[in-house]
Amino acid sequence: MIRQPANLIIGSLLLVFIGGMALLALFWTPYDPAAIKLVARLKPPSAQFWLGTDEFGRDVVSRLMTGAVQSMTVAILTVAFAVTVGTITGLIAGYTRGLADRILMVFSDALLAFPGTLLALGLMVISGPNKYGIILALGIAYAPSVLRIVRASVLSAREREYVEASRVIGNSELTTMFRHILPNCLAPIVVLATSMFGWVVLAESGLSFLGLGVPPPAPTWGNMLSAARTYIEKAPWLGLAPGICISLTLLGINLLGDALRDRFDPRMEQR
Amino acid sequence: MHALSKYVAKRLLWTLPTLLIVAVMVFFLVRMIPGDPAQLILGDSASPEELANLRANLGLDKPVPLQFLYWLGNVLRGDFGHSISNGASVLLLMLDRFQVSATIVLVAVALATLIAVPAGLIAAWRQNDHVDVAIVAASTLLMSVPSFWLGLVLLLVFGLKLGWLPVVGYVPFTEKPWTAITYVILPVVTLMLIEVGVLTRMMRASAIEILRLEYVMHARAKGLSERKVLLRHVLPNAFAPTWTMIGLVLGGLLGGIAVLETVFTLPGLGRLLVDAIFARDYPVVQGCLLFTALIYVIVNLIVDLCYPLFDPRVTAS
Amino acid sequence: MKYHNLLKTAAAMALMAATAGTATAQDKTMRVRINADIRSTDPGVNRDANSDAIVLHMVEGLVGYRDDASVAPLLAKSVDVSADGKTYTFKLRDGLKFSDGEPLTSADVLASWQRYVDPKTAWRCLKDVTGSSVANVTNVTAPDASTVVFTLEKPTALFLATLARTDCGGTGIYQKSSLDAQGKWVKPVGTGPFMLQEWRSGQYVQLAANPNYVSPGGERTGYVGDKTPKVSAVRFMVIPDDAAAKAALYSGDIDVVSDVNNADVEEFSASNKLKVDKVASMGLTALLFQTRDPLLKDVRIRKALLLSLDIPQMTEALTNGQSPANLSVIPVPSPYSGKLQKAVPARNIEEAKKLLAEAGYKGQPIKWLATKFYPSLFDAAVLTQAMAQEAGINIEIETLDWATLLDRYTAGNYSAMSFTYSARLDPSLSFDMVSGNKDKSPNKVWDNPEGLKLINESTTIGDDKQRQALFDKLEGMIRTDVPLIPLYSGTRIGAVRANVEGYKTWPVGYPRMWGVSFAQGK
Repeated sequence: MIRQPANLIIGSLLLVFIGGMALLALFWTPYDPAAIKLVARLKPPSAQFWLGTDEFGRDVVSRLMTGAVQSMTVAILTVAFAVTVGTITGLIAGYTRGLADRILMVFSDALLAFPGTLLALGLMVISGPNKYGIILALGIAYAPSVLRIVRASVLSAREREYVEASRVIGNSELTTMFRHILPNCLAPIVVLATSMFGWVVLAESGLSFLGLGVPPPAPTWGNMLSAARTYIEKAPWLGLAPGICISLTLLGINLLGDALRDRFDPRMEQR
Repeated sequence: MHALSKYVAKRLLWTLPTLLIVAVMVFFLVRMIPGDPAQLILGDSASPEELANLRANLGLDKPVPLQFLYWLGNVLRGDFGHSISNGASVLLLMLDRFQVSATIVLVAVALATLIAVPAGLIAAWRQNDHVDVAIVAASTLLMSVPSFWLGLVLLLVFGLKLGWLPVVGYVPFTEKPWTAITYVILPVVTLMLIEVGVLTRMMRASAIEILRLEYVMHARAKGLSERKVLLRHVLPNAFAPTWTMIGLVLGGLLGGIAVLETVFTLPGLGRLLVDAIFARDYPVVQGCLLFTALIYVIVNLIVDLCYPLFDPRVTAS
Repeated sequence: MKYHNLLKTAAAMALMAATAGTATAQDKTMRVRINADIRSTDPGVNRDANSDAIVLHMVEGLVGYRDDASVAPLLAKSVDVSADGKTYTFKLRDGLKFSDGEPLTSADVLASWQRYVDPKTAWRCLKDVTGSSVANVTNVTAPDASTVVFTLEKPTALFLATLARTDCGGTGIYQKSSLDAQGKWVKPVGTGPFMLQEWRSGQYVQLAANPNYVSPGGERTGYVGDKTPKVSAVRFMVIPDDAAAKAALYSGDIDVVSDVNNADVEEFSASNKLKVDKVASMGLTALLFQTRDPLLKDVRIRKALLLSLDIPQMTEALTNGQSPANLSVIPVPSPYSGKLQKAVPARNIEEAKKLLAEAGYKGQPIKWLATKFYPSLFDAAVLTQAMAQEAGINIEIETLDWATLLDRYTAGNYSAMSFTYSARLDPSLSFDMVSGNKDKSPNKVWDNPEGLKLINESTTIGDDKQRQALFDKLEGMIRTDVPLIPLYSGTRIGAVRANVEGYKTWPVGYPRMWGVSFAQGK
């Protein structure tokens, strides 16, 4: 426990770096991320283009920076949506059990049993291929996973002594649920949410592989990664750059997630 | 035992509404997506009359709710219809492709679990020292690589550069078991690597949780060796959420490995489904989705039934 | 003694192995990539490009294409057209046999034809031979076992070309045993150089050499001439992923890729493991406008868009320098593609801005549809968006899957889109592909009554010079209206392993595996 702050520091630093990059991109990028320069197609990294150029001669650094904004927005909003909806329904399902639980499980199973591609394809038709359509589609696709995990944690937590105790003392059901049960679900939720962050970035990549991602010319790490696949041998930097960005962001979020969980864990405070 | 079979029966009964919702969602969602098989068959020079004729031939000119009832009636009698694309029986197609996907998913997830559980346990035990950091970093890295990238890189390295394994093709296990293995090694390894990351992190998180509980303290205070504490007290209790995750992963993968099946040219269920979606091959899409939903429900039923084995507290309820 | 025997046996075995080597070399299966599974083996029925390519290895029609897409007799020995252009008399070749050894007679031609024109068969080209669009066949007779006579309502220059069309299954003639007792299609029993051996759904279609193939002799060109198979089997392997197909070609897991990406040509040409063969193709990649769109109905805006684009540079980027820009619907390899057709207007941003100002355009967004199913269509949209922006045109790209894009195309429900047409082998058909009455055929982009009249006229005359004059006139008219911006007609690039001999790419583009063999000793 001595090195506890280490993950907090490294995680924060990574996220500050990525966040700073995104923030900077709102005001300044080395080049216009959408400017096409056909004479400078697929140029390797150089002093002029630090990370080279893509298949349209667009500067990879500028696109990475702008892409950070897009990918972050999509990922944060999607995860927030899925976790909020999933946690609330999961708590209800696990705590009340009975009919509400049954109905929620039937719907969540139906959604989970549904491949994401089709769900996204269908929802995207309704909302049109834009950022919010993607957030909605992925959010709906991921919420049932949260529901299941939360429900499982609630089921095991509600049998613990201190929950019984809370009820015996005469605390209301709601107080018991939020004070004593929710904190127990925190660890799996944090893990799932941080993993989900990565899934969302990658899912956006998969969707834009199918032509359903954030529409061009806006770059996202996901659509950069999927476009780079064609040039995996000729121009490996095109895929490496967004890939490394995704990895660093995930690492930062995971480290920070661990640190935060430790900080807010009720049982940690007791000690 | 009687209670258990009653429980199973009840659970199975509750899967029926799930399947019905899936069936309804599938049918109407698929038909809400623009584009239809008649246009795809006729291509860029289709005239309105030709389209109308072909649609009538395919039975697509009737009202959608009517088509739905007709289809549902047939499915209840075990008839999933025939593919619009190639006329093959949907049921046979699905069973044929399912074997391929199921083999790969099961083997890959089993291997991933065998790696992830000890890795997560060790990381939790050595929380925050260099072993933990290394495991966290590795699993994070694995989680941030898209499967189509990892698959393609492995294909290029082991298939092309080193030439150890075939690049395309598939042989069923029933025909030439040894050759068959060489065709599925790469997809299995790719899928395993992708899943190891998630499962390791889940295992680590729940193990850390358990390590903090009083009874672990008691066990340690009693003088049990660390090894025994981990294996007897932490592992069984920490495995429950991981087990739920495995259920989710297993159930979700069947429809989700289409990308891998495309990269490795495997005739699996995922590719069948995704190809059918793009070809608007309605009977195949409907059949496949209903089938994967059924598999998903069964897998999760098994997962739930296994809970008491890991988490003694659930038995009480 | 024993030792001596052993030596002798060894020597004999070595000899056997050597002879076996030469004898069995061509027993090796040639493996060809297809990017998706075929739909059926029924010629011209439930088909797509891959199905056509494979079916045409097994069945042959009365006539077929040559390499330059002109039409020549195939099962026919000769074709006589009456003076009024209404009667076609086909004399069948002597000694023709189906793959099951049965002889082919005029009765088989009649039987096949009757199934084709039965509406229940849903033949792709039914309306083209029994309707008003191309030809109307009123009568088919067989005066003797080797003669078939087709009678048409009106003369047309396109009757034979229609019979030869690949999407019509080449109007291939098959034996009765291709169908079961209920008249349901089983598998093709035809006269082609190969026959169906095994079709494994989602994996491969394997063809075996047809032992009863009868060659007419003559140069192997297009679908005619000497088509003798030189390998015992060909396996068309379903490999949907381009990167996987490329790796498989390098590793030797497949031998032939008939449609290589433009981006890979340089790399493939440099490899000593592969041979590349390319030829200008007859498709069309274009930017389409909906001339009924509230904004784009103004020809000045369409013209401004054309002037804002640097088309040669766009084409260079889109095709990796493999195809020249072609601003005509008539493809480059066509003999009718002259100076007028090959002219490319220069980019003129100032002029574009002037036109936009005249039209009162104030940056209203233009929705542009594209798909990633064909990467070049998506890339064309991105390039158009960037170039048009310099003239102040605001384009918003919407990416759809192919089926959805096709749906919007068919319904005419779009403002603008990138689109690609399949090959049309005659200029009349090229113009017909984009022109028509929008009320009746909403998929057509050019609705100009005078143009339609000229196109119709071009199908009835046979004289090359007269036709050229008509096409030149049409070219001027369509360029004034700008209902679409053609970009290029494309290049078909084939790549084979270095030990594959005799493989040739052609403008129609489909792989042809007869006459192709493995080099000896490799």
